Amino acid sequence: MAIEIRLPKLGLTMEEGTVDEWLLEDGAVVTAGMPLLRLATDKIDVDVEAESDGILHRAVGDGATLEPGAILGWLLAEGEATPAGTAPAAPAPAAAQEDVAIITTVRGDDDIEVASADGRVFISPNARRVAADLGVDLSTVRGSGPGGRIISEDVEEAAAAAPQHTGPAKVASPLARRDAREAGIDPSTISTSSGYVSRGDVKAAAAATPRETAAAAVSSTVVVAPGSVKQETASIVPMKGMRGTIAARMQQSLTEMAQLTHGFEVRMDAVVALRAEMKEQYIALGVPVPSLNDFVVRAAALALRQHPILNATIQDKEIHLLSRIHMGLAVAVPGGLMVPVIPDADRLSLPDLAAATRDVAERCRNGSIGLDELEGGTFAVTSLGTYGVDMFTPVINPGNVGILGVGRLRDSGTWEGDDWVRTQVLTLSLTFDHRAVDGAPAAEYLQTIAELLARPLVLVS
Amino acid sequence: MTAPTDTEVLPATREVVLDLHRRMVRIRRFEESSGKLVETGEMPGFLHLYVGQEAVAAGMGSVLTDDDQITSTHRGHGHAIAKGAELRPMFAELYGKTTGYCKGRGGSMHIVDMNRGMLGANAIVGGGIPIAIGAAFASQYRDDGTVAVSFFGDGATNIGAFHESVNMAAVWDLPVIFVVENNGYAEFTPQEKHMKLTDIAERAASYGIPGVIVDGMDALAMRQVSLEAVERAKRGEGPTLIEAKTYRFFDHQGIKGMRIPYRDPAEVEAWKSRDAIRLIETIGVERGLVTAEDFAEIWAEVEAEINDGIEFARNSPDPDPADILDDVYTV
Amino acid sequence: MSTRELTYVKAFNEGMHQIMAEDPDVFLIGEDVAGYGGVFHMFDGLLDTYGQKRVKDTPIAEQAIIGLGVGAAARGLRPVCDLMFMDFIGVAMDQIFNQAAKMKYMFGGAVSVPLTITTAGGAGMSAAAQHSQSLEAWLAHIPGLKVALPATPYDAKGLIVGAIRDDNPTIVVLQKKMLGVKGPVPEELYAIPFGEAHVAREGTDTTIVAIARMVPEALKAAEMLASDGISVEVIDPRTVQPLDTDTIVASVKKTNRALIVHEAVEFGGIGAEISSQIQEEAFDYLDAPVARLAAPFAPVPYAPILENAYVPDAARIEQAVRRLLERK
Ligand SMILES: Cc1ncc(C[n+]2csc(CCOP(=O)(O)OP(=O)(O)O)c2C)c(N)n1
Ligand SMILES: [Mg+2]
Repeated sequence: MAIEIRLPKLGLTMEEGTVDEWLLEDGAVVTAGMPLLRLATDKIDVDVEAESDGILHRAVGDGATLEPGAILGWLLAEGEATPAGTAPAAPAPAAAQEDVAIITTVRGDDDIEVASADGRVFISPNARRVAADLGVDLSTVRGSGPGGRIISEDVEEAAAAAPQHTGPAKVASPLARRDAREAGIDPSTISTSSGYVSRGDVKAAAAATPRETAAAAVSSTVVVAPGSVKQETASIVPMKGMRGTIAARMQQSLTEMAQLTHGFEVRMDAVVALRAEMKEQYIALGVPVPSLNDFVVRAAALALRQHPILNATIQDKEIHLLSRIHMGLAVAVPGGLMVPVIPDADRLSLPDLAAATRDVAERCRNGSIGLDELEGGTFAVTSLGTYGVDMFTPVINPGNVGILGVGRLRDSGTWEGDDWVRTQVLTLSLTFDHRAVDGAPAAEYLQTIAELLARPLVLVS
Repeated sequence: MTAPTDTEVLPATREVVLDLHRRMVRIRRFEESSGKLVETGEMPGFLHLYVGQEAVAAGMGSVLTDDDQITSTHRGHGHAIAKGAELRPMFAELYGKTTGYCKGRGGSMHIVDMNRGMLGANAIVGGGIPIAIGAAFASQYRDDGTVAVSFFGDGATNIGAFHESVNMAAVWDLPVIFVVENNGYAEFTPQEKHMKLTDIAERAASYGIPGVIVDGMDALAMRQVSLEAVERAKRGEGPTLIEAKTYRFFDHQGIKGMRIPYRDPAEVEAWKSRDAIRLIETIGVERGLVTAEDFAEIWAEVEAEINDGIEFARNSPDPDPADILDDVYTV
Repeated sequence: MSTRELTYVKAFNEGMHQIMAEDPDVFLIGEDVAGYGGVFHMFDGLLDTYGQKRVKDTPIAEQAIIGLGVGAAARGLRPVCDLMFMDFIGVAMDQIFNQAAKMKYMFGGAVSVPLTITTAGGAGMSAAAQHSQSLEAWLAHIPGLKVALPATPYDAKGLIVGAIRDDNPTIVVLQKKMLGVKGPVPEELYAIPFGEAHVAREGTDTTIVAIARMVPEALKAAEMLASDGISVEVIDPRTVQPLDTDTIVASVKKTNRALIVHEAVEFGGIGAEISSQIQEEAFDYLDAPVARLAAPFAPVPYAPILENAYVPDAARIEQAVRRLLERK
């Protein structure tokens, strides 16, 4: 019986997943547990593993974006057909001529795989060159070459389909492009017989338009070559995987919500003092010393109990106040950002919370964080204090209605009576979704946090 | 040293005459029928036919055992048959069939039969001569009492491999016999245009070994000098160069005769009148050793063997192209 | 003067006649080249026209044939030394690669060796392992030698003249299977310089670099593919040493794909060199790995069924191009 490979539902809020790339060729013999494909979700990329043994038959290609539960392919028994009514497998070409072909040695294209196990996507060198010339993002191009390799025709088609491109796509070598720029000619206007603009073509085009260039040179004292202010791509970072997820989610957040941010300065003197006091004790006990940020997270979590409107989610014109407080923590990782979730953060003691934040941050960075641990946050804290930022506008994770930004700890001063005293403060930046939360309740939430931070013994008890 | 050419005085028994006759008839009929089959296009490739020279291979072949080794030339069918090769795998090879001596890979110029001491025909002129001294070296090394014989043409004695090999074999007293079949031509070039000598046997002197001239149309004479050379080699006295004066009746290649008249028709007729097979039949009958009926029976038997060989080859399977990489290496 | 149709061998023969008429220092030696005119008729009529002094039959002595040519060339003559079948170069190899090829360089430029070696290569005649080989890669590997493989009657004439006029040791490899092929040949004497590839057919979808007898096979394949709208450019390098990399690379930059076809065995064949040059010079223009179609790693077999499987032909070239172009 054919075993279906379905797009897994990896979390409550998961709406769709993208087949980033298949890790195995169609027809590969698979044993249970082998990674079949890399799935890009809106949170992280995960490998989908085979549930059982069988022969892989892929139903969708790389780049397919589908809802959870959608069929991605099957694991078939030897000789078993795919279930009826499904897309047929591409037939093996020229099978009849196989017997002749084995005799004379032929090297070349037969052995290409679309993607190797290490996740490499196959793109012909020419396609890379053409993509660079035309400014096409290769992650948006589907390969049609042997084995699914992206070839230049795919890139040219993608460029032609892209709306911002006007005029026929012209391929020019980098040297020809440079020559064209120096001659003040747009390469796409150069006529060629082959569709490929060579240096010779540029030269010919330049020779055909000598007067304008010369006239421009004498009529103006400052000659700016028309092409000299153009942007040039130095390198291309595909917006796929985590980058693509972040892009999509942030954009979604800002388009769907009515976000605004309050800046609010809180005094940290008490926290700093208490922390210094307890530090040695913690070290003696062998538990991690809570950071200032941990104090703030704990305060934010406890404060949410009193301000449930900020621990909510909006669904179909309803605001659902959530019973438990699962705190998301923004963690910077190379190339992006992850938001692991600490469940029931308000019920953790400060040392436990400190241990939990270290643990998830570490596992985000080394890639061992589970997808489930990135799901289900009801509020989030993000800190840019260590980067020297005081005030910023955090962007709410879709599904939440608020996020708290933590700024830099800095020295300040205040009048206490007649005395000007030195204080230590930081600025909290609370972004909230105005659809659910108004400005005053948001400020009240911040005040609660400030009070907790001013009396931090509550936080450590 | 010149061998006796008067066959009258040589010891010839009924068995020896019949043996030599059968060897020659098998060669003659194999060559004639193969030539026809290539001409009609039934067989591929091209053939260098041995017709006319049968006495040379037959005389030498009759004194060798299966353990003695020979190397041969592009004109090698006769050497193989005289050494006892079977006609079925010979025909099959020429047809390019799996049942051939080389599984269809070698064809006419590369017949081999390791079971009968046929170390292989060679399409490179002179290529087999150094190989023969290697086989003789193995005989000496193992001290197994065997000898090696290299057959080659007059033209081949102009190539470096000949001179290098004869000299080395002479210095080391290798048990090898060099048989130059002087048919007067190297392809289309007559002997006097490719060397100054008339008697190639003289070349032996420059390497300090005996050179013997023998009538290559007389199988009994050829047998006699072969015997002496083989015995000398087995005694450890080293190589002998035997020059057999002979003639090929057909063209350098194929049957059809000459593209240009490089040979005088009278010359061809004169040699044909000394046909080796007819000669031994005459001797056999005249001396009362063999009857004409005995000879006729051999012709008939050979004819049956020929037909059987062709039938076998025709019915044999073609090689499978999937096996094309087999035997490139010993595995 | 006009152009008419001649066979490949007749065109070559005409080139020999004309260059011998032009240059009295040209002489010809080899086995059966004089009285018989060469076993392939390559040298018909030369003995009658130029006499025994200039057209000579030799003993079977390949090493001496080439060596004589080297010595005579060093003295300023222009020898043409024939080796009949390409396989026989094995017998003469020392004189070719240790002597002829190296004299100029190792003597510090003091000696030139304007020697021309003619021979016939290629399979397809059930001539088996020692009479069918294509050994051009061997020769092209030796600095000092130049190697030409004419694939048309026009080139057979032009390349033999170019070779004889060249001041270096050259080898002109005729194709046994092409001797009777006809094509246009100008009457007058002309030379094709070494190192200039011929674009035998223009196209845009893929480049085929074909060697020797594979050129007409590639052209046949191109014709078959054209009916399917596949446009194939066929390049005949004509000489593999020197090799006209520029023309090949320019073509590949246009078509973005290359298939190299030769009937020599693939491993270490000239296709490996061409492929390497393409990827070095045109890597960023490739839409597919450079493909090769060549003989398997075995000696040439005798049986026609094996030999047919061994040597590439138009049908297999067509398949190889389709594989190269396959899009989903
Ligand atoms: C090394 C080499 N050179 C040239 C040839 C071409 N060829 C084949 S047979 C032959 C003539 C051989 O003459 P000879 O040795 O007298 O033998 P015959 O053919 O007369 O039996 C020649 C030149 C060859 N096969 N090998
Ligand atoms: Mg001879």
